[in-house]
Amino acid sequence: MENNEQLEQFFDQMKKQDGHLKSPAFPLLKKRRVNLWIPIGIAASVILAFMLIKEPKAIHDRPGEVVIITLHTDENGDQHFTIEQTTHLDTWESPTTSLLTQY
Amino acid sequence: MNSQQLDHILKSHHREAYLWARQCCSFQDELAKDVLQQAYLKILEGKTTLKDESKSKTWLFSIIRYTAIDELRKAGKIIPLSTEYDPIQINEEVDSTDYEAIIQLLPEMQREVILMVFYHQMTIAQSAEILQIAVGTARTHYERGKKKLKELITQVQIQEDYGK
Repeated sequence: MENNEQLEQFFDQMKKQDGHLKSPAFPLLKKRRVNLWIPIGIAASVILAFMLIKEPKAIHDRPGEVVIITLHTDENGDQHFTIEQTTHLDTWESPTTSLLTQY
Repeated sequence: MNSQQLDHILKSHHREAYLWARQCCSFQDELAKDVLQQAYLKILEGKTTLKDESKSKTWLFSIIRYTAIDELRKAGKIIPLSTEYDPIQINEEVDSTDYEAIIQLLPEMQREVILMVFYHQMTIAQSAEILQIAVGTARTHYERGKKKLKELITQVQIQEDYGK
């Protein structure tokens, strides 16, 4: 058996003396609070970005009335123009189509 | 381990951690408080993690010890000593109730092992873990420290008796 009585007495006295020491306040754990702001900040930024980015508008403006000029040739070989006004075109023929057939 | 568990562990060892920080800082109270704060910060920032909850005290003591060494080194207060260093002659002014002054006369490693075993009720194996040395080496420091401290206590008492 070790004879540590002298040392044990020494440390008991030392502890008694230290009993008068006041421990510093335990620090508040702020880490969690700081971390909470990070996801909140990211979410707010994403929402703001969605709000600021404008959706491209579809073009709904229709052209006004379309004037259709048709050239007719009657049985006598005379040519007549027919002018029609409408809001839409069913068929469209390129003005240069005739070149393919008549050239 | 979540922050609440960590908070609970640190709170339960707070008083002992403070006293250990003082002992590691040559009983300089303000420095010890700074060291303790920095040690807690290291833990909360996740720079060090506790793997085995049963070793929470040795883990905390080890962090405090290394933080104190860093701080003392920054302040230029670390004097490297060999393990064979003999305690200096006792100043006549040392009182037998000046426990801090007496224990300070021991070589660093011996002082730390002795404080951990006698003051903080740790085992030699736990002390070895904190000091990151082999158990056999810690036992040697323990035996030598005990012998030297007994001599110092006796010497101080003799000086006091002669002084009366």
